[in-house]
Amino acid sequence: MKTKNRRVFLKIVAVGFVSFFAFIWNKLTLQHIATSGAEEVSVPLNMNKEVQFFDKYIIVNSDHQTKVFSSHCSHLGCKIDKMESGKLVCPCHGSEYDLQGQVIKGPAYKNLTILDSTVSDDGKSITIKG
Amino acid sequence: MAKKNDKTTFGTIAVAMFWLVILSGILLAVPFNVESPYLSVSTMIVANPWAALIRNYHYWSSQFFLVFSLIHLYDHFHYKEKIGLKKGMAFRLSIGVLIIFLAMITGFLLKGDSDSEQARQILQTLAERVPLIGQSLAFSLLGHPESYQLIYVHHIATFTVFIAVIMIEHSRRKYWPPVLDFVISAIGVLAFSYLFSAPLHDNLNPAVKGPWYFVGFQEILHWLSHPAWSLLLFLVLLVLLYLVNSAKGKTMFLSKRSLLVFTGFYLVLTIIGLFFRGERWQWKNPWQENYRYEVLNNFKSPRVQLTPEFELGTAIASPVIQGRKESCLACHSETHGLTDSHSPEAIGCVSCHGGNPFATGKNQSHNNMILIPGNLATAPQSCGTTQCHPEIVERVPTGLMATLSGMISVDRFVFNEQDNPDELANVHHLGNSAADEHLRNLCVRCHLGNPKTEYGPVNESSRGGGCLACHLNYSPEAEIALAKVKDTIINAHPSISLATSNNHCFGCHSRSGRISTNYEGWHETTLEVKQMPTNDNNYRLIEGERVFVKKQQDVHHELGMECIDCHHSYEVMGDGTLYAHQEDQADVQCIDCHFDGDARTIKAENLDNESAIIAALRLGNISGKEFLVTGKRKHALVNTFVENDTAFLQTKNSKIKMALTRPAEVCTRSNAHSDLACSSCHSSWVPTCIGCHNEYDPNEPSYNMVANKEQTGGWVEFFGEYEAKLPSLGMRTEGEKSEVIPVAPGMILTIDKSAYTDDADNLTIFHRLYAPVAPHTTTKEGRDCKSCHNSSLALGYGEGKLEYEMADGKGKWTFAPLYQRDVNDGLPADAWIDFLQTRTGKVATRSNVSPLSVEQQQAILTVGACLTCHDDDSRIMKATLNDFEEQLQKRSSACILPEWK
Repeated sequence: MKTKNRRVFLKIVAVGFVSFFAFIWNKLTLQHIATSGAEEVSVPLNMNKEVQFFDKYIIVNSDHQTKVFSSHCSHLGCKIDKMESGKLVCPCHGSEYDLQGQVIKGPAYKNLTILDSTVSDDGKSITIKG
Repeated sequence: MAKKNDKTTFGTIAVAMFWLVILSGILLAVPFNVESPYLSVSTMIVANPWAALIRNYHYWSSQFFLVFSLIHLYDHFHYKEKIGLKKGMAFRLSIGVLIIFLAMITGFLLKGDSDSEQARQILQTLAERVPLIGQSLAFSLLGHPESYQLIYVHHIATFTVFIAVIMIEHSRRKYWPPVLDFVISAIGVLAFSYLFSAPLHDNLNPAVKGPWYFVGFQEILHWLSHPAWSLLLFLVLLVLLYLVNSAKGKTMFLSKRSLLVFTGFYLVLTIIGLFFRGERWQWKNPWQENYRYEVLNNFKSPRVQLTPEFELGTAIASPVIQGRKESCLACHSETHGLTDSHSPEAIGCVSCHGGNPFATGKNQSHNNMILIPGNLATAPQSCGTTQCHPEIVERVPTGLMATLSGMISVDRFVFNEQDNPDELANVHHLGNSAADEHLRNLCVRCHLGNPKTEYGPVNESSRGGGCLACHLNYSPEAEIALAKVKDTIINAHPSISLATSNNHCFGCHSRSGRISTNYEGWHETTLEVKQMPTNDNNYRLIEGERVFVKKQQDVHHELGMECIDCHHSYEVMGDGTLYAHQEDQADVQCIDCHFDGDARTIKAENLDNESAIIAALRLGNISGKEFLVTGKRKHALVNTFVENDTAFLQTKNSKIKMALTRPAEVCTRSNAHSDLACSSCHSSWVPTCIGCHNEYDPNEPSYNMVANKEQTGGWVEFFGEYEAKLPSLGMRTEGEKSEVIPVAPGMILTIDKSAYTDDADNLTIFHRLYAPVAPHTTTKEGRDCKSCHNSSLALGYGEGKLEYEMADGKGKWTFAPLYQRDVNDGLPADAWIDFLQTRTGKVATRSNVSPLSVEQQQAILTVGACLTCHDDDSRIMKATLNDFEEQLQKRSSACILPEWK
């Protein structure tokens, strides 16, 4: 009985030990992400261009409106960097979106994420959050 | 079998590979730069062959480590007996397999190319979707998106240490493999490393794939809308692996078999992923176009050359191209002549010419190179790559210069193969009909898809050539360099630019409607070369055999304007819409520049990107500028602008600035001539051809312009008379709107198909078709009144004597044709219609074009009757322009109007 109790005890200690570190790890990582701050970047804006691929962002100018989408495909996060026949096409698995960011063809089923953005007064740059 | 019991099959080889991975990894850490991985890896390949060799060594030893580890695992699955490891050990081994894959994939990520970047995104997304700890897990595994630091740490430390510990524990503390295994592994990997390079994506090819061991997984992900479910697959596999190692009896056996079935299934998926998936993971089999480019590109693997075929110093000094080193520039370091945006310093060589940017010898570098980029078949791989002009390359094949829709459709219509000349057609879909063979023999050389196959500048004999057809220019230096001995490096490169001149258009557009020659004031004759007067500037020889005579040039040409000064990029390169005929695709109209009233403009900041770039390249700073836009499709005319309420045009190449004139009052009045197209009055002449005969000769040596090869048997054309005349008038009706337009006898012809077809109903064909024309012989002054109102030619009767006779108080128009009446339809040879009659049905090369109605002819001739006595510019005739009916009421008794019965 004694031996058994000791094993149970050691197991509890081990699980506790691992859990403690897992807890600390989760906390410190999330805190680190938080300290990195919500990203806010200002990128040059070309109002003449209907669709502008800018690394993590897709900036779409249509009907005198500027919208910013995350360039990450909602399926698996691949970076979309190409427009074909007026559609945004993912290079990894061929998901397609229209210029409103809405899915036209899967495997993606969620629309592209719209990011908050503000166009500068002179219309030459855009500040994007997120 | 003998070795079965010791359960080390290939395990010792795997251990050997592991130590080789460690050793090569330590060496590779010296040249590798985690802050710019792609640049550092490409620099190793291009400028440090020893580093390239060790990178290959690291790659191949790790791949073989994985392969032999998996084979080692398989060895266990193969036998029915239990393995019987302790639970803790089995658990750690299962995790170890996962860690091996993580070590492998992080190595894949560390090359930093486009494959790696996308794989990183996928890994991050999957990790984030692990419940509860997803975000922390993703960040802890991959770190900050802009940095490779954490990935590198895990690759060289976390995962490596873990694998080492597990491996040593698993092998019962055997640290080292047998010497023989080690030696064989080391030599084998060295051979592989010398012969085959580790992959590195050129970041241009649009096909992206994960490492070979994950393409099967990529295939699974392709089918999953909710890819997070794939995580369960990993979990199941790890559990199965655990059970294989620790369970017994049926559970163990079922786990083994499940893993075996999965391995077989995964193998099939891997083969599909590797060999049958191309750009955007679309199905691609070896017989499809671009298979080599989209699929085999992944296997590009140049051999390491320890002494590259160039000076390493030059390679080190070569510029960084889009984040990488290109070995091309180590040899072609002196290349010049390209415009800034296309210079090798900006886009390197591979962006246009393909080949292998990471090979270090001529043959390997030039393998699969595009010698003449810009041809439409390869344009998506050169001019149209993602970073360059993809949207234009996508549009060009839809334009008429690429489809030849009108030419094909009208030809089939004339050959009685289709009822409507306005159907959409494409030169790439020609069949075997008489018309299509006729097109192949005589017409379809002039399309942009016809490839340019030889170096050299565009000249009057050039046809096709895709992007180069308009954008290629040789400097004198480049032309001289072209003539140099083969195998010497040519440094003077022709330029690719916006400097499209009339000469670029000339090759194709000096034929058929002959717009290019008309514009410059040259009319083709039927003279033979020997009949051409010598030393006479009034004559010009084109292509060594066609004799042209001087006529009046277009007023715009006289002012120094070129084709592209009117025709903008969306007209010339297509706007993505398929059009049936030139007049449909044409956007710019006379009134866009010669407008009455307020200018229709667009501000620079509202221009579309293409127009803005072109405008900026042409005019410099366009900020604050206002450009004219076309009325038809609202495209900007980027060489026009409004300054102080005056509209200007600046010629694109020669930069001549000119104020745009407004139309004369006579043109803008709304009560006479308002339904006339500008060109019906302002064209000075148009080339005409009557009496053409076509027949098929099965023995005639001819040419197939699609296949670009000689053949026996072809269509032969016997042309009639070429004459430069004032255009005739016809009607174009679109919906409710009709307009008087210039037309010319385009196809008064006979076709003899008897030698080509057995179609008894259509062996010989006769047609009398006029064609709408855009003469491009514009004059400032319009044609005079009599040239229409008193002209049999203008009215469509053909040449002849058109007279107004007045006798006994009655007036009557008479007409005596110059040409004999044709046996086929009884009309004068050059006529469209008979005197004071009209025709319907198959009368023109467009379904919406027809001759003047009898009422219209009578109305025109009524004014013509007045003009027999009154001069054009007489007060009374000018007054008729305001109110003709009123003037008729006021006419004197001497004025006798025509009677029509």
